[in-house]
Amino acid sequence: MQATPWEPEGVESLLDSNGALVDPSAISGIDLRGYYKKLVAARVLDVKLRRLELPMWASAAGEEAVSVAIGDTLGADDWVFVGNRDAAIGLVRGVPLSELAAELLRLPSAPSRGRTLPGSISSAAHKIMGASEALGLSLGLAAGHAHGHALFGRGRATVVVFGEGLTTTGMFHESISMAMAHDTPLVFVCKSQIWPEGAPPEAGLLGDSVAERARAAGMWSRRCDGADPLGVRRSIAAAVHRAHEGAGPSLVEVVVTPITRDPPAERDPIERMRRLLDGRGEWTQTFQDVTEAEINGQLDRAFDEAVDGGRA
Amino acid sequence: MSALQPLAKLVAALLREDDRRCLLGEDVRSGGMLGLSRVAAEDDQLRARLLGSPLTGAGLIAHTGGLALAGLRPIVLLPSAAALLEGLPALRELGRLGWRSGDQHGVPALFVAPDGPGFGIGGDAAESAEPTLTAIPGVQVWCAGRSEDLCGYLRSAAEFPSADQPSGPRVLLLPRSVIVRDLMTNVDLDAGLSRAPTAVLREGDRATVFAWGSALAPALAAADACAKQSGIQVNVVELGCLAPLDEGLLVKLANATGKLVIAHAGPRRGGVGAELAALLADHSILHLDAPIIRVTGEADLLAGHEEHLASPTAAAIAAAITKVVHY
Repeated sequence: MQATPWEPEGVESLLDSNGALVDPSAISGIDLRGYYKKLVAARVLDVKLRRLELPMWASAAGEEAVSVAIGDTLGADDWVFVGNRDAAIGLVRGVPLSELAAELLRLPSAPSRGRTLPGSISSAAHKIMGASEALGLSLGLAAGHAHGHALFGRGRATVVVFGEGLTTTGMFHESISMAMAHDTPLVFVCKSQIWPEGAPPEAGLLGDSVAERARAAGMWSRRCDGADPLGVRRSIAAAVHRAHEGAGPSLVEVVVTPITRDPPAERDPIERMRRLLDGRGEWTQTFQDVTEAEINGQLDRAFDEAVDGGRA
Repeated sequence: MSALQPLAKLVAALLREDDRRCLLGEDVRSGGMLGLSRVAAEDDQLRARLLGSPLTGAGLIAHTGGLALAGLRPIVLLPSAAALLEGLPALRELGRLGWRSGDQHGVPALFVAPDGPGFGIGGDAAESAEPTLTAIPGVQVWCAGRSEDLCGYLRSAAEFPSADQPSGPRVLLLPRSVIVRDLMTNVDLDAGLSRAPTAVLREGDRATVFAWGSALAPALAAADACAKQSGIQVNVVELGCLAPLDEGLLVKLANATGKLVIAHAGPRRGGVGAELAALLADHSILHLDAPIIRVTGEADLLAGHEEHLASPTAAAIAAAITKVVHY
């Protein structure tokens, strides 16, 4: 039974809508407050970018669990192929903030010399490959890249992040086919938007679950809830671990809730994580304010520096 | 013996020389459609780098780009240049990938594809793909001409600069009519091209003939015939690098005689010949003593029994030479 139309079906969950852990043992070793700060930083970055009114920019508010889980679980030798709503991966992966700002502002002083697609970032030093221009091409590139990793030996993974809109393209199916044929250490991370009033034809949904489609192709897959940051982290960490161990490709589908569409509060991954911390006595309004002010200040400085550096 | 056998030996040698190289394509593990991976497939040491691939269009090309990004030097053996047209979005992406990254990355990948008429099956397999391929930014397009140069072309095309000089992907077109022709000479598999792909193959001062691919042999035959029958000596330039064009060299060669013939397979409109004619009209107009004549294939779509119409004959090229010389 669905509590509200905003609750996704068929998802594994670790943190329920009240912020209670289904399996407390699954979070051992995770610095929960540190993890929460990364989620908040991702949201603050999104708000900052919204205020800049960049051309062709799309908000990633509500998708923070995906960016933070990828940034947090990938190893130093792993690569991630991003789309145009994944800038927070750079934040978590340690791209210097002024460099991140220069990429997002598409300045000539940026590593990609201002040539990345709007909203995307690229950093060879931090093993982040920018978005591709042609529909779904980053999926095929990532499959080949993971294959290349495997040819050089075990232990490295490639992750590609994309939205469910790409799953109707030929490239999605061709990439699954190539990844399976060559048993590549590739993790597909698909962000599927939730449609509480039913999906429009443009969503091109084939059945309700991309994870099930991947499973039908013989691929290990998981479907989890983007409002549950710890569940998303668990699934992506498991997929990356499999890739490191040479166990082949996988797909993690994360059902994300666009915060811009005013969903119930428990659909916000940051609010759900806050409830968990609050329940454990690890959250205060002061902690919240300080965390937000800190990252806001850092980002403001970084964007100013990037613009000044670009002028110099 | 056709050139396919030495080419197959060379493919294996290229893999042995550099373990970053790998082969992709349908059936490469069992020799590939043209047998180009047959020698490599018999070598147990190389089999791990023969990456047989499921039938995909853009997927294979994108996959190749990913392998190159990961540090490999993939060589893709395609059944036809038409496969590159089917995977066009991916080839476009590979062409611009280095640029978009601010030159943080290169894509040192080689696509080897039979092109143009020669197998007698018409349709796609008589089509010359270079007009589309040469219009893609960031993709180098080479086209081999003479059968004795095929191995030199392959070896040189497989060489990429070191990783600190990012380079884009390269396409090597092998004209079907040339790869099925009997190869009369022994080929040194260790030798690359001793010259740039675009170079003067025969010298003369009365006219300049630009030709490539399956039109090169007829162009050389036409030049011989003109010399023998009328004492007319012409320059024959092989246009082996179709993109990017060496514009300075081509203008210089055009200026030297002022009488120009362009010969190539495939249709007249919208192709490399048209681009070359426009380039020379722009830059050599004060040196031209006759209109530029293009001698090309006669139609876009051809059945197998019409393939002779896809490429110009030596007689047609000789007639064009005579016309410009006596203009």
